[in-house]
Amino acid sequence: MARIKPKRHGVVTDMTAMCDVTFLLLTFFIMTTQFKKPDVEQIKPPSSISEKLLPDASLMTINATPDGKFYFQPVENASERLELLNKMGQKYNMTFDNNEKAAFQKVQSIGVPMSQLKSYLDMPEDEQKNFKSPKGIPMDSTNQQLIDWVQQSLSVNPDYKLAIKGDVTTQYPKIKSLFEGLRDIDFLKFWLITSQEGKPND
Amino acid sequence: MAEVQVQEKGAKGGKVRSKKNNPRVDMTPMVDLNFLLLMFFMFTSTFSKPNVMDLGLPAKPKKDTPKPPPTEIKLSNSISLLLGKDNKIFWHQQDNTSLNDTNLNETSYDREGIRKVIEQAKANAADKTKFTVIIKPTDDAVYKNFVDIIDEMAITKSEQYGVTDVKPWEKAIYEKKVGNSGAPAAPATK
Repeated sequence: MARIKPKRHGVVTDMTAMCDVTFLLLTFFIMTTQFKKPDVEQIKPPSSISEKLLPDASLMTINATPDGKFYFQPVENASERLELLNKMGQKYNMTFDNNEKAAFQKVQSIGVPMSQLKSYLDMPEDEQKNFKSPKGIPMDSTNQQLIDWVQQSLSVNPDYKLAIKGDVTTQYPKIKSLFEGLRDIDFLKFWLITSQEGKPND
Repeated sequence: MAEVQVQEKGAKGGKVRSKKNNPRVDMTPMVDLNFLLLMFFMFTSTFSKPNVMDLGLPAKPKKDTPKPPPTEIKLSNSISLLLGKDNKIFWHQQDNTSLNDTNLNETSYDREGIRKVIEQAKANAADKTKFTVIIKPTDDAVYKNFVDIIDEMAITKSEQYGVTDVKPWEKAIYEKKVGNSGAPAAPATK
């Protein structure tokens, strides 16, 4: 007598649908990811309990290094950057050729005074990345180039937002002079970049 | 579906055919890989964003507008914090005549220190709605101190705070205090 044996299958799940979904999500995330560009100098922001994330708005960033140098990072938008460069050129009586303009559109951040901007932009890209400015953008009571950068950016597009990234050990008087400068041009709302810290339990 | 349909062609002349299984492509490793990449991209996109805290500065008084009368803050309703060097912080509730180096108190930035002080001062304030914290960073302070103390304002929910410069009379006491605390330490190391 032949007994009826149940057919043995291995359990095979059809993965195709799952594969489709993962690909869809993967494509989405690949498209939306923006990798952080390496900073010229290491800046370790202080921690805070704030859970607000840096918004995506057109953002200019001021970096303050531990030894009190300022770097200015203009907005990403290339055409608006060009306009900014022209305006800054007008203010400081400088003209830039097309190569320098192209370099400015790609530059990560500016850390040189206006007088050295031309030679900085003329440098090849690799050198620019490793170039550590000895002085940063001047910011004192007589020479407020940093504030000029902010002001000219705002005149290009008043909707720009400003974020300030300072290092843990940046001396306060430096930050104070920056704040005072920003108050002078009536630019009063901005963000301080901080790192995450646990919220204390009450 | 992922199965590839195999067309049966020329089956007539064919001899013994092996089983006609539809070749199935196993998608499992592909899904695995996809998930792995997906994880990577998800985490990099969310973690690369730094946190921010809002900061609003008071507008500078315009030259042509008349100055508003200086707002009087009652001493009991306010507390002054001096951010000193080497991550030291001092607090007092005195005015320029009564402040001396015994009532300029030193505390620390952690939760046992400054947070207790602020909470206590708030609880003792005569009018809690008007309780104001006056933050006075000295030139020796670092940026971290400033952010920490603004952060502390958020933690203790003291919405009213102001950042101003250190007054000369406070600076004198502060320097005396810092000098004093430094002086006994120096001979001790001998």
